[in-house]
Amino acid sequence: MSILAYNGGAVVGMKGNGCVAIASDKRFGIQLQTIGLDFDKIFEVGPKIYMGIPGLATDTQTVNQRMKFRTNLYELKENRPVSPKVLSAMISNLLYEHRFGPYFVEPIVVGLDGNNEPYISTFDSIGCVSEPEDFVAAGTCDDQLFGMCEALWKPNMNPDELFEAVSQALVNACDRDAISGWGAKVYVIEKDKVTIRNLRTRMD
Amino acid sequence: MFLTRSEYDRGVNTFSPEGRIFQVEYAIEAIKLGSTVIGICTSEGVVLVVEKRITSPLMEPSTIEKIAEVDKHIGVACSGLTADSKTLIDRARLESQNHWFTYNEKMSVESVSQAVSNLAIKFGDSDDDEGAMSRPFGVALLFAGCDEKGPQLYHMDPSGTYVQYDAKAIGSGSEGAQQTLVEMYNKTMTLKEATKTSLTILKQVMEEKLNSTNVEVAVVTPTARFHMFSKEEVEEAIKDVA
Amino acid sequence: MALSMMESNNRLIYNDAGQGPVQHQFSPYTDNGGSIVAIGGPGFAIIASDTRLTSGFAIYTREQGKLHSLTNAAVLGASGCWCDVLSLTRLIQARMKLYKHEHQKDMSAAALAQMLSTMLYGRRFFPYYVSNVIAGLDEEGNGVVYSYDPVGHCDKNMYHAGGSSGALLQPLLDSQIGLKNMAIKPTAPLTVEKALQITKDVFTSAAERDIKCGDGVIIRIITKDGIREETFKLRFD
Repeated sequence: MSILAYNGGAVVGMKGNGCVAIASDKRFGIQLQTIGLDFDKIFEVGPKIYMGIPGLATDTQTVNQRMKFRTNLYELKENRPVSPKVLSAMISNLLYEHRFGPYFVEPIVVGLDGNNEPYISTFDSIGCVSEPEDFVAAGTCDDQLFGMCEALWKPNMNPDELFEAVSQALVNACDRDAISGWGAKVYVIEKDKVTIRNLRTRMD
Repeated sequence: MFLTRSEYDRGVNTFSPEGRIFQVEYAIEAIKLGSTVIGICTSEGVVLVVEKRITSPLMEPSTIEKIAEVDKHIGVACSGLTADSKTLIDRARLESQNHWFTYNEKMSVESVSQAVSNLAIKFGDSDDDEGAMSRPFGVALLFAGCDEKGPQLYHMDPSGTYVQYDAKAIGSGSEGAQQTLVEMYNKTMTLKEATKTSLTILKQVMEEKLNSTNVEVAVVTPTARFHMFSKEEVEEAIKDVA
Repeated sequence: MALSMMESNNRLIYNDAGQGPVQHQFSPYTDNGGSIVAIGGPGFAIIASDTRLTSGFAIYTREQGKLHSLTNAAVLGASGCWCDVLSLTRLIQARMKLYKHEHQKDMSAAALAQMLSTMLYGRRFFPYYVSNVIAGLDEEGNGVVYSYDPVGHCDKNMYHAGGSSGALLQPLLDSQIGLKNMAIKPTAPLTVEKALQITKDVFTSAAERDIKCGDGVIIRIITKDGIREETFKLRFD
């Protein structure tokens, strides 16, 4: 099996009207054995910027820390916060630097930019960026997530609708993947607040 | 006539000029030496009664088994060479289980009869088929069962011919018994009445006095399916048989 | 000669004809794609397949349905290695004729389901590379769906998505038909119209993301009155 599926886990992000959402499962496992039920795969980069890093758990943490290093340096040098677009470029750079010995992660970025416009992006493990109109999905149940999102997503959802769509997409997708699930965490990002909800899911 | 016969009655794969296979006919004759078996089919279920010949007081009567369960919903009674019947019953059981395995449904009574018939006519001189018999089987069978078509009774003889009956008698007392069955059978009889009728007829054709050790009774109903009567149940059943 | 060239030029010499045996490997399977969705409900069952037949990035045809009506009460959807599908469905039809002649009746959906399972397991060590789904009516006339793995594991459900888009569609059916992860569940029983609408929606979704799925959908609706067919267009690229 692919090393990308060694620990399991999935992340999904969606655009709404003036809001974005990102959600992930909470499982940490080694192949089919579940070790932990509170493993974060989503990290706050700025007040309105989050990145989700599914993949090999050790690389999830390393990429997060390396990005923390680089964003801190950026903010000190530039004396301004990173925007989602800048963050995407930086992740892409970091991943491509390891073109021939990659981090086994497929990160996604969601956030609101300087004009509070929703932004989402997704990467492959060597840094190829894509900035879709609607939603991004990555992890061991990305097929299931794409199927769900394709049916549930519609333009201009309000924060409540967005929360419902992203939650249903994630939970139902994870229920059809043996190595994702065991709880879920959903972030809904609006211009003045971020709502974090922990979802109860089936634990099998 | 005798000359013609002696020429053609040895091989099982040779027709006589009159178009007969004597060995098969002799096998059918052999049934008439067997103990009497009677089966009656009613709308409530099928009953099988069998005479057990206790030829010696030292014999253990319970070891003579002339009625066997093929599957939960099918029973079979035999008359003739009991040893031959074991092979046929084994095949019936095998086919029935195989059908359940392949199709997850119970095999119909007719299909079981058909399957056993296929084995019954697999006789011949050739050594090619290891499992096949060199002569026809010397037994006749009555298949009693309940499937999706309801309760049914089938008779199969050594020629492999199988026919459905409302009521049928085979074995030594069959001629008289069949005659009485024709007179006494009607479509509306209950299973209880049928049991009594069959035991009454059996009693008439038996040499011994009817009792709970020299008779076997089994019924097949749609709900309880195959049920072999215990000694007590047999006693209860023969109590009011005149 | 080759050795001396390697020594003098210090270059890599490719293994050419005449230098050792050339191995060819026969690969008996190919994935021709195809997706199946089946839903059973009270008094009906529907089964649908896309009509695209592929091999890698090539499209063989845009109009190959993958449904096989077996009886008036059962339809088989089969996709995967198309040559195996053809062979298997022929064998099923032959076995059904044998059954009919042996037992003087049509096979029930349950009998078909069990037979397919044993047929697939019979090829345990050289399997039919086929994803099978049977939709049909049970003895009471209600819809049932049987789904299989390639070696005959059989699962009885009320809905199933199989084939190349199975992973994309199954969680959607869990949500919309199975009503999983819903706080307030609708109480009304599933209707044919609702099931048809969901089928069309999920195929539209799958066609967006699965390159092996597209072109069109054939839907068969099984009721006690027989089998009705509907078609539906998908993206054509």
